[in-house]
Amino acid sequence: MGQPAAKLSVSVPNELAVAVRKRVGARGLSGFVARAMAHELEREGLGALLQELEAKIGPPTKSDLARARKTWPKR
Amino acid sequence: MAEALILDSEALNALAFASDRAVLAKRASAILRLAHDKRALVRVPSAVLAEVCRGVRYDSAVNHLLNNPGIRVAELTRGAAQQAGHLLAKLKLSSAHAVDAFVVATALQFDTAVIATGDPDDIRRLAAPFRRIAIFAL
Repeated sequence: MGQPAAKLSVSVPNELAVAVRKRVGARGLSGFVARAMAHELEREGLGALLQELEAKIGPPTKSDLARARKTWPKR
Repeated sequence: MAEALILDSEALNALAFASDRAVLAKRASAILRLAHDKRALVRVPSAVLAEVCRGVRYDSAVNHLLNNPGIRVAELTRGAAQQAGHLLAKLKLSSAHAVDAFVVATALQFDTAVIATGDPDDIRRLAAPFRRIAIFAL
């Protein structure tokens, strides 16, 4: 069963609205916006976690970061 | 679907107990930072919790980590569980490797994924057929 939906009224730049409607259509707009909002909240949470970790153990080493970049798949 | 970073039990433990496991936690934070930069999702397969949760004393640190909105638990779906079984069968591995197989099956739910793991050999074997999965050894 889906969660109850809340109606939001937001203002976005016209160009952005046109691009999103073109991409997902009028009926797909709510799902697209909900996914984008959830993703942004996750990203902010991750940013906060990285700050918390850095305060505890310091920043990641350059060599670990380089290895992480090398590991990450190219798209 | 999007890109994802999948955390196995060692990665989750390192991040939850960062002060006690600083070396591993720093490595885990490097791949976590890259996930943030790449706007990737970070997921913990629910089966991993069976390896990590060992009672209230330990769980509070794990729960603190999982309460962060940036890390979400990926529920084990019927499809992923069946896929995990198929991965084990292909390599003739026993159910002792079931959690590793769940980790790889979770990674397969995304377009591309990186698995952060303290057990790279087994995970690498299970993920070997899939070019869209990369392994980051802690």
